[in-house]
Amino acid sequence: MNRLDRASLLVALTEKLRASGSWAGETHVQKATYILEKVLEVPAGFEFILYKHGPFSFDLRDEIGTLRTDGFFDWEVKSERYGPSLKAGPLSDALKQQFPTVPDKYASEIDFVASRLGHKNVAGLERLATAIYVTLNERTPADRRAARINELKRHVSLSEAETAVEEADKLINEAKAQFANVMTA
Amino acid sequence: MANRIHEIRDPIHGFIKLDSEERKVVNSRPFQRLRYIHQLAMTYLVYPGATHRRFEHSLGVMDAATRIYDVVTDPENIYHDCVRELIPRKNELEWGYWRRVLRMAALCHDVGHLPFSHAAEKELLPKGIRHEHLSKLHILGDHLKPLFAELKIQAEDVAKLAVGPKYYGSGLSVWESILYEMIGGNVFGADRIDYLLRDSFHSGVSYGRFDHMRLIETMRILPREDLESEEPELGITLGGLQTAESLLWARYFMYTQLYFHPVRRIYDIHLKEFLGEWLNEGQFSIKLEEHLGMTDNEVLAAVLQVAGDQSLRGHEQARRIVDRQHFRLLYESSPLDLVLNLKSVELVYEAARLEFGDGAVRHDPYESEGGSEDFPVYLRDGNIASSVKLSETLRQGPSFSVDYVFVDPESKEKAKMWLGENKVKILGA
Repeated sequence: MNRLDRASLLVALTEKLRASGSWAGETHVQKATYILEKVLEVPAGFEFILYKHGPFSFDLRDEIGTLRTDGFFDWEVKSERYGPSLKAGPLSDALKQQFPTVPDKYASEIDFVASRLGHKNVAGLERLATAIYVTLNERTPADRRAARINELKRHVSLSEAETAVEEADKLINEAKAQFANVMTA
Repeated sequence: MANRIHEIRDPIHGFIKLDSEERKVVNSRPFQRLRYIHQLAMTYLVYPGATHRRFEHSLGVMDAATRIYDVVTDPENIYHDCVRELIPRKNELEWGYWRRVLRMAALCHDVGHLPFSHAAEKELLPKGIRHEHLSKLHILGDHLKPLFAELKIQAEDVAKLAVGPKYYGSGLSVWESILYEMIGGNVFGADRIDYLLRDSFHSGVSYGRFDHMRLIETMRILPREDLESEEPELGITLGGLQTAESLLWARYFMYTQLYFHPVRRIYDIHLKEFLGEWLNEGQFSIKLEEHLGMTDNEVLAAVLQVAGDQSLRGHEQARRIVDRQHFRLLYESSPLDLVLNLKSVELVYEAARLEFGDGAVRHDPYESEGGSEDFPVYLRDGNIASSVKLSETLRQGPSFSVDYVFVDPESKEKAKMWLGENKVKILGA
């Protein structure tokens, strides 16, 4: 996927997250892209490791910075309580107009991710995305995955981790049912 | 022998202190090699003062990282139980262990650099390999690992903090991630603090200065309550916000005035092309002993030799460097042209190649690294807020990118006329 197609995909994902009620901070975009790429196999080309608030891509972090510089993203402070949100920037209309193919092709996948993550705060996203990461990488029974999450993220309790594993399994199974190309778990 | 404290005079940090055991690491071959790696590649061809090396930068990063560690682990600076549980108690063995690991990781974070630092890294190493991988190999290698054993620290822990999770290859714990942020953190890690101040000092671009002592004094480890998460990150107290803003501006000025200077950028390209032709198989070796024997000195000696002999590989590029016959800027990314066509620079580059030939035109797109300036800030009332929410400067702060097209000096005037006449057509406007 070339640079501008990927930019168009990320802008479309962010706009859909916002439309689904998401606060759409950088962490939201990170976790949504992770699920889009690793569960739904949309080939955005980012590598993720377990780091800040769960799966994290340094390349995606850099890409979001570049997209702001290029005028495709902007910061917005929507609330007194929460951190900043990402919104479409001044050149995003030109981007959508000139590079519509990739967002159109993956519209269903974007909708799927946005509808499941739109209502989540960072803590909830962190638990779910970490559970998906552990599930995709370790393929062990649910109780062992929950224990692993608790070990990796000490501030996530065992019962929270168990709930997150259940939720991860459900999301992956729904993805498998809806999208024939999903190979995971 | 008694473990004495030694002092090294430094123009940025005053006296940098280290003990006799740590000095053995400084005296090792991988670290001494950094005396012969320019911090800013061939920037000295534009800013003559910029001849400083990775050696003193690495000492500076160790000093700044140590200051950060001492501030953020001071019990008086820890406000939350979830952070208190994470950090070893001051002056206990584990606290001293991680302080030592952090210092050595900061010291050794750049030992894997190629000649002329970043100038030619992507193209002249095997696919997927970066200098951080070589830093990791050196830290775990025959020269350094035994010295870390003498210091009673694990070389693996040093490698983790030196290269970070992206290059170490497996996950870091939350505590290790925070320690890594103290060195390589995207917003205000010791590496960034030192290179901005040092590059500014040596180049004479004085905009790069900021009050780093104040910044470090205000650093804290804070849970991201503003994100409704308990996962802690490196942040600051409200009193440090202005100096964090000034760091952002310093970075902006340094990038626009120095790192992105078009003549500096084109010398990187000439050097990269020279190395691609001169090196065996067109790439640097990643064997550690060969890496240790390859510095700027070897490359510069070759540039001078090859520039004087037309029959040698790389002659054309070496000649351009030695005789200052570098390519000239023809076109750069502009907001107005981007509105017309987001691929404006690529289109100009392709059209110029067709008009003047492959050998006469170069394209230099820069992909920026580093994300947002969003970090937690501890407020006077005990709450935590996002820096971007509190600071208009950080939210709307200056950003920068470059995308240049260069043309050979012989074609410059003709190319400028050609572009003036054809730009509208090229952009499809």
